[in-house]
Amino acid sequence: MKDRISALMDGELDDRSASELIGNLTHGSENAEAWRAYHLIRDALRGTAPLSAGFSARVAWKLADEPTVLAPRRIRSGRSDSPRWFTLSAVAASFAAVALVGWLAFAPQQPAPAPVLAKAPAAEKPLIVPMPSSANDYLLAHQGFSPRVSLQGMAPYVLTVAEHPAEAARK
Amino acid sequence: MKLGAYALTLALVSGAVQAQAPETLAWLRKMQDAAQKLSYTGTFVYQNAGRSETSRITRFVEASGDIEKLEVMDGVPREIVRTKDTVRCYLPGARLVKVDRRTERGFPALLPERISAVAKNYDISLGETRRIAGYDCQAVVLTPKDNLRYGYRLYADSASGMLLRAVTFDAGGEQIEQFMFTQLVIGGVTRDMVKPRHASRSWRVEDAEASPARAAGWGLSSELPGFQKVVELKRRLSDSRPAAQMVYSDGLAAVSVFIESVEGRLEPVRPGMASMGAIHMYTREVANHVVTVVGEAPAASVQRIANAVEYRP
Repeated sequence: MKDRISALMDGELDDRSASELIGNLTHGSENAEAWRAYHLIRDALRGTAPLSAGFSARVAWKLADEPTVLAPRRIRSGRSDSPRWFTLSAVAASFAAVALVGWLAFAPQQPAPAPVLAKAPAAEKPLIVPMPSSANDYLLAHQGFSPRVSLQGMAPYVLTVAEHPAEAARK
Repeated sequence: MKLGAYALTLALVSGAVQAQAPETLAWLRKMQDAAQKLSYTGTFVYQNAGRSETSRITRFVEASGDIEKLEVMDGVPREIVRTKDTVRCYLPGARLVKVDRRTERGFPALLPERISAVAKNYDISLGETRRIAGYDCQAVVLTPKDNLRYGYRLYADSASGMLLRAVTFDAGGEQIEQFMFTQLVIGGVTRDMVKPRHASRSWRVEDAEASPARAAGWGLSSELPGFQKVVELKRRLSDSRPAAQMVYSDGLAAVSVFIESVEGRLEPVRPGMASMGAIHMYTREVANHVVTVVGEAPAASVQRIANAVEYRP
């Protein structure tokens, strides 16, 4: 059964076998768990950040709350046309599952923070804010490493003791 | 004599630099030597679009090292005294002394390898000659090769190499800020002239306690072209907040990345861009930490570095 689930994920089952198998993935069953675990493994291999705990439960709850939309089903034939990133053979999948379970078992109890990717705020125009009240601390710490000091001597340090208008106005 | 200087410069700098006229590089060295070897006292004005401030700077050189003092002449009489490895800011308004020490090495110098980094990122040429505060000066122009950094027009005394005026300009040639001596006397400085004037014994002392350390897990997903990491350390900011600092430099300009925990901050985090003259400061939150990026670089460069900061546990 596990290798069929793996094949389903890879879009390698024909329509009839696929719908039969999907019918078997009932909520809470062993197969559904395998289905979930394989997706988790594939996401981990692809480097996709995992969703927060309880995400699927929250989606299910939201869905249950939605009105049922009656619409004709789109008919699809042939194999999935979505790009296949990784084809997990059943053996590889079970190895990966063991590795994942091992990793989960030995991981510290505190959830590790997810990697934060850099591209998030790609705004061209940043929000303009006044100099923070601790600006001079940053400048003092920074200035000591600025090579221009070796040409200009201490002059640029004048900024590290600047009185910031925004700060003065707040007092 | 002049040939000797050429040969020395050529011998010191790498192949990438040889495309630059040796005379201009010799001028950079001359300025740097003057900044290290001369004793002087003078009044200078700092100017940017929004402000202008007058200060006095005095430098005393002796065999055991040099001492330099900067006094702000406008507003509250703040003072900064720098010795070989320590900077002290005297802030009479807050009755506070901020101390920043260098542990690993002295203050950055334009070493030969740094000059080669400068020449990779800037076109260096000789500009006009001009009289400033009574000194006949030669301009050396550093034009950036891209818009990730500012340009500089440096006016140095033809005789001594002492820098009298430094203008920072942007990609459009627009002046961003300038430092200019309005009065300068070279030589004749005594040790008493560089002593702090404030009796600060009862003042609070904030020591940054900077020491080299790696900020585990933190880094840039991509570096800004021409900028390389030059140092990484831990330190304390005001209220003794521990912070990590990483400094990136293109040989002339530098940008610092500060990382602090969100917890225990008295001041609310205000994400966004602040600026003062050529300095830009960009704040954002990453993985429950406040990331503050500060440097004398265009806003877009500072923001690019800030947006590249990531945490990978």
